Order: sequence, then structure tokens, then C-alpha cells
Amino acid sequence: MIELFILLVKVFLVMNIALVLGSLCTWIERKGSALIQDRVGANRAGAFIESDKWFVKPALPFVRMMGWLGVINTLLCDSVKGLWKEDFVPEGASKFLHAAAPIIAVLPIMLAFAVLPLAPDFTLFGYYIHPRVAPIDAGLLFVLAMGSVAVYGVAIAGWTGNNKFSLLGSLRAAAQMISYELPMGLVFVALIVVYGSLDVYTIVERQGDLLWGFIPKWGVVMQPVSFVVLLLAGMAETKRGPFDLPEAESELAAGYFTEYSGMKFLLFWLGEFCEIALFALLLALLFFGGWHIPWVKLPEGVWWAALVGHVVLMTKVVFFCLLQIVIRWTLPRFRYDQLMNLGWKMLLPVSLVNLAVTAIIKVLV
Amino acid sequence: MSFIEFILGVAALVSGIAVISFRNPLYSAFALVANLLTIAGLYALLNAHFLAVTQVVVYAGAIMVLVLFVLMLLNLKTEQGKQPGLAQLATAVVGGIVLIVTALPPVLSRFQGLSSHQLADNVRASEGTVQAIGQELYSHYTVQFELSSLVLLIGIVGAVMLAKRKQPQLGPRQGGLLKGE
Amino acid sequence: MSSMMTYLALSMVLFIIGALGVCLRRNAIVLFMCVEMMLNAVNLAFVAFSKLHGNLDGQIAVFFVMVIAAAESAIGLAIILSVFRSVASVETTDAAELKW
Repeated sequence: MIELFILLVKVFLVMNIALVLGSLCTWIERKGSALIQDRVGANRAGAFIESDKWFVKPALPFVRMMGWLGVINTLLCDSVKGLWKEDFVPEGASKFLHAAAPIIAVLPIMLAFAVLPLAPDFTLFGYYIHPRVAPIDAGLLFVLAMGSVAVYGVAIAGWTGNNKFSLLGSLRAAAQMISYELPMGLVFVALIVVYGSLDVYTIVERQGDLLWGFIPKWGVVMQPVSFVVLLLAGMAETKRGPFDLPEAESELAAGYFTEYSGMKFLLFWLGEFCEIALFALLLALLFFGGWHIPWVKLPEGVWWAALVGHVVLMTKVVFFCLLQIVIRWTLPRFRYDQLMNLGWKMLLPVSLVNLAVTAIIKVLV
Repeated sequence: MSFIEFILGVAALVSGIAVISFRNPLYSAFALVANLLTIAGLYALLNAHFLAVTQVVVYAGAIMVLVLFVLMLLNLKTEQGKQPGLAQLATAVVGGIVLIVTALPPVLSRFQGLSSHQLADNVRASEGTVQAIGQELYSHYTVQFELSSLVLLIGIVGAVMLAKRKQPQLGPRQGGLLKGE
Repeated sequence: MSSMMTYLALSMVLFIIGALGVCLRRNAIVLFMCVEMMLNAVNLAFVAFSKLHGNLDGQIAVFFVMVIAAAESAIGLAIILSVFRSVASVETTDAAELKW
């Protein structure tokens, strides 16, 4: 019984961390893009709120500040707007698939969070707790599998759009996601060779060791090429940044979600931002030591150490979310042939050579 | 038999029937994806963790996406012309039922006694973790494993050779794909 | 009825559904999908037997079936594409020029 309770709490927490990271990314995107483009961005909703109620009054300065910062606008107003919009289904489209597509697009990304550890294991009230929902041994493979299932949401969305722009957008998106999955898989293999495990938890734990006694054994030190490849492939997988050809506004209206409105449209957005958070989490866990602080050894199995580890991990995750958003708003869009060339002629050979070199070094050392 | 097994089994059957009964091939493809995912779930329940994930990666993630791609590129309408008539359908259903009825009892009776052999350590030994599968593959099936990579290579080369566009004048009747070129 | 037998029965029924699809449908891509379904039905039986016998041989067989299926799908779809290019259809009844 208590195991079930612990599991439910873990599911609740992991879901919420994913969603909070996703909405945090939304806010960073809104305000950050404004900053980069020398605009002000969302700053009014809730900024001048007044109330005479005694129980609201103490919170008013805080609420006003949130309004000025655009938090209320991005998190509250946008969702309310999405909820009240007309739910439009294009003529001739299957209602069922049209409604299912956003769910299919978000679900695998949420599921991928289930295998990723969010803090080191610890003991609380005599119960040994590992802070991930599904401690399976094929963790990295599972993340890859969920990435490949995410193609379906996009493909179905474009197809139910029942117009050429949507279909073109979804074909582009599917081709792009499949192409960039190969270098991603090869990067994972190289990491598995280095750390000798498919389990993300073990990989993170082994990054706590020191190389030659003074360099932390982080993924970015052991596998710098892999880090660059995964960063690029991850950004291509999220279909953002310079890789946002599937939704290129100037060519395809809005690509595969042209025909979506209201909450269904927002679900696609949520999925996109959760995917950013997922890749940030992957980069932090696999390449930047997860919850490890360099040269600092936290005690094992204590709850406060797990909490510190969690905060450290989340700091890294937010940093990588920021990095992805800054790249997305800084670089212009690729041409489609450039995108395919980068995937097939650059990243794939580079990751193959990287894997071969890694394997040779592993055998020799 | 657990409740989850029952649900997954029924879902597999329903989606399987859906695959062959949808007129629109795209719906069939989506139904098949659902079918493959339920089978992946059954693998996980049968302790074949590696296979469950591989099923999702290979079948749902690669093969079916390829099929979907081809279907969307060809932009096929639903099957036109005469559909299989009622008589044909009835024959098929009756034939299927006859097949099941004649083949199921012998198979089941053949393995009636086997289920009692299930021991605790058997279950332990058949736990298909990544490590166990890898150990087995690289110790007993090394040659086959290497040969399968050759098969994949042949598959890639063959697909490229077949799908490569020939000279335009070679095609007797050009399909919809070539018209826009 | 034990759990293993249910798996066998399920696998068998799935196989027969796939076979029926191959007999009934005329779209080459749907035929291809039905063949995949039959392969999967057999795979399910393999995995069930693997658990029954307590060794990994069945799962290894499934692994190899998956490899073959991947190669087969690449080639099969390429063939369907080239048929489509020459007869502008993927219905099996349309690509019947060798039949008389």
C-alpha cells in the first residue's frame, strides 16, 4: 500500500516538474524573445490590479510584480484564452484523429520523463526512495523509443489538417525527426560505451568520479563531440530554433498545426516546451553530471543531499532551456536541403566516427 | 491472468480486426501502430523488457513511420472499384473461424501440461533485460548477429536501388509522383 | 486456462486475422501491414514460449525476426513505390500485366 502511495506521489511530482518546466519555458520564451528583439513583451495583464479585500491585499504587490514580468499573461491569460476559443475541426477531417493528434504528440514526451532520475536515491522514514517513476534498465533506449513515437502526433496532425500546407509541414517534421534520431541514437551508444550502462541513474552516478584524480568525469569532458551532436539533434527533434522548417510561417502558414485552435493548439505548444525541458534534462543528466557538483561529494542516501542534488540538477536544466531558447531566437532558419545535409552528411558521420574512436579508446585503456 | 493482460489482449484483437476492416489504408496503419504498441506492452508483461522497447523503436518508430510516409506521399484514396462482396466476406469469416476452431484445440492440448513447469528460477532466467539479451547475443549468436547486420546492409542498398528514379523515358506510364517534376 | 495458453490463443487469432487480411484486401501496403501483423503474432508466441521454458532463446529469435522485418519493410516499400511509379496504383489487381 505504502509503495503504491510513494509511486503515486512520484508520478504526481514528475508530471508537475515536467509541466512546470514547460510553462517556465513558455514564460522565458515570451520575455526572453522580447529582450533579444529589443521589445518589452507581455507586461500588462494583472500589473494594475486593485482590490479592497483584506485577504488579497498583502499579496497585491507580488501579483502586480508578476503582472509586470508577464507571468500572469503567459500562464493565466493565454490558457484562459485557449479554453474559450472555438474548437475548429476542418471539413472532411476525422474528428477522432484530429482530437487525438495533440494528445499523441504530448504523451510520449511526458512518458519519457518517467525513466529519468530527478535526484539521487535517498532514504526517508526507513523507505528507500529512487526519485523516478519507472526504474527500468533500458532507460536511454526508452527515451529514444518515445522520441520516435512522438512522430505520430505530428504526422496525424498534418494529415487531419486536410490541406497541403499541413501535410507538407508534417512530412517535413517527420523526415526531420527521423533523420536526427540516428545521430541521437549513436550518441547514446557512445555514452553507453563510456559509462558501461544504459541506465541513466548509473550513468549519472559514474559521472561523479574523477578522471586522473582531478577532472570530473562529466559527459562533456569524456564525450565533447557527442555533446555538440546531441545539442543539435535535440534542437532539431523539438522542431525549433534554426530547425523550425515544419512550421515555417513564411512558407507553410503554421505547418502541421495550421488547423488547430484553442486548447488543442496549446497542447502542441505545451508538448514543444516540455520537449525543450526534456532535452535540457537529458543534456544535464548525460553530459553535465546531473546532480553532481564538481569536486564536492554529497553524502549518499540522505534526504537533504537529495534535495540539494535536485536543486543543482534543476539549475542546470533551466540553463539548458535558456540556451535552447536563446539559440532559437538568435539564428535564422535553415534551408531544407541544408537541414538534411547537416543531419545526414555532418552529424551522422561525425557521430559514427566518434563512436568508433570511443570504442577503440575504451578497448585500449 | 492479470487485468492489464486482459485489457491489452482485447485491445490487440480489436486493433488487429480494425487493421483489416478499415477501407482507408491510413486508418489501417494507425490501427496497426496501436496493435504493435499493445504487443509491446504484452512483451513487457512477459518480462521481455528489451524486446518491448525494441518493438516500440523498430516497429512503431521506424517501420510504421516508413509505411505512413509512403501512404502520405502517394496520397491514396480509399480503395475504389468493387469491394469484396458479401459472399467473399462471409467466406473469409467462416474460413477464419474454421481455421481457429480446427487449429486451436490441438495446439492448446499439446501445451496443456507445460504450464505447470513454470518455476520461480525459470522466470528469473527468462528475464529479458538488456544485459541478459546482450550476453546471449554476443556469446551464442555472434555469427548470426553479424549476418543480420549484413542483411540490413543489403536491405538498405536494395531499397536505394529500387527506389532510385530511373530515366524519365523508361517509365511506360508515369505515376502521380512524377507528374509534378 | 493458464496465462500461457491465453497468450498462445491470442497469438494464433492475431495470425489468422493477418492471414485473412492478406486474402481479403487488395491494397499492397495493407497486405504488407497484414504480413507484419502475422510476424508479430508469431513473435508473441516466441516470447510466451521463452517465458514458459525459462530461457532467452525465444526472445533472441524475436530479435532476429525484427531485424529481418526492418530490412524487409525497406525493400517491400521500395518495390511498392516502383510498382506505383509504373502503374499509378498500389492495388494488386492493377499490377497484373503478367496475368492472362
